[in-house]
Amino acid sequence: MESLLTAFGIDGKLLLAQLVNFGVLFVALTWLLYKPVMKTLDERAAKIAQGVEDAELASKKAETADEDAAKVVKGAETEAEGIVAGARDLAGSEKARIMKEAEARAAQVAADAEARATETAAKALRDSEKEIARLAVLAAEKVLREGK
Amino acid sequence: MSGVLAQLGSFFNNLFGTPVAFAATEAAGHAEGAAEHGSGIHVVLKAEEVFNLAGFPITNSLIMTVISTVLLIAFAYFVRSKLAMIPGKLQAGVEMLFQGVLDYMAETLESKALARKFFPLIMTIFLFVLVANQLAFLPGVGSILVDHAGSMVPLLRAPAADLNMTLALAIIAFLVIEITGVVILGFFKYAGKYVNFSSPVNFAVGIIELLSNIGRLISFSFRLFGNVFAGEVMIVVALFFVAYLLPVPLIAFEVFVGFIQAVVFSMLTLFFIKLSIMEPHGDEAH
Repeated sequence: MESLLTAFGIDGKLLLAQLVNFGVLFVALTWLLYKPVMKTLDERAAKIAQGVEDAELASKKAETADEDAAKVVKGAETEAEGIVAGARDLAGSEKARIMKEAEARAAQVAADAEARATETAAKALRDSEKEIARLAVLAAEKVLREGK
Repeated sequence: MSGVLAQLGSFFNNLFGTPVAFAATEAAGHAEGAAEHGSGIHVVLKAEEVFNLAGFPITNSLIMTVISTVLLIAFAYFVRSKLAMIPGKLQAGVEMLFQGVLDYMAETLESKALARKFFPLIMTIFLFVLVANQLAFLPGVGSILVDHAGSMVPLLRAPAADLNMTLALAIIAFLVIEITGVVILGFFKYAGKYVNFSSPVNFAVGIIELLSNIGRLISFSFRLFGNVFAGEVMIVVALFFVAYLLPVPLIAFEVFVGFIQAVVFSMLTLFFIKLSIMEPHGDEAH
């Protein structure tokens, strides 16, 4: 056994040196490489998870915003329709009023015209009666004169 | 055992003795590396001591191990200093690797928390073995020689071509596997997996599992050591015969092997952790 160890150069001191060397390397790499890199990986994973969550939240928000916008547009449309209908009604009643007024005025004008016409006719009749009377007098005078 | 190895060495000497002298004289210009080793292919099973630091033997493999460690820590420091929420190319690559490994671990262990807990160990094993194996292909590793106690030894050697390094990793993996089993299942339940008196068959199965558990120490360490060491020997032999072009596909293959071994070592550790935290067979309804 011992000759085997010597043949392969197994030496307690060297073995210990190799063990210590590996121990040092293990500790150094753990502190310098593995921990910082793992920390970076973890941090990045957390950041990506946060980003995905934020994106989901944002898309959800966008969805509700769309809904809100649709609601607002719908409300605005109904309101606009109401306004138009109101305006149409108002316009209708105004038209009726104006027509009524116009009719009333027309009727008055017609009435005035008739009244004047009647008066004129009456006056004309009176005038003609006077004329006829005068003519009759004249005719009577003429007959009287010829009868002499 | 060492006698067998000595015999193997002399066999190599006999086999390559003449061709070496031939190659050294004819191809002295471009095969300096092989020629400098003297006669024969220079194959050493163990890492060689380069210098001695207050009674502590500093081997060429240990130097490479430390270089790999320093490079990895520098890389980690560099990546950390550039870390940002919006990743650059380097950070994206590192993150992709980590995320992939973590997902795979969570799938295997069937628990995200456990995957997080064991990730540093599995990842460190993978990165360390990978970098250590790949650095060994740099020019200069194995070919730069220094004088030590009168003989020329390579200054640098693949870390995994030293059983000390692979055994140290195996010990760490073994301890983590066993301790995890005890912590998660509890001592008696975990021990019950291996020492089971409910029936002779279960007892035999338990003992076999216990032995295979301990055998992991050997299989873990020798798998990595054997692969890397064999690759080195193969490249050295190829270099010896044809110094140009022939070693290229072999080196490319060894680069692949270096990567695969890193994956295998870390994945097996992961699987054995999973095995150790699984409920004992007796509890399952058959």
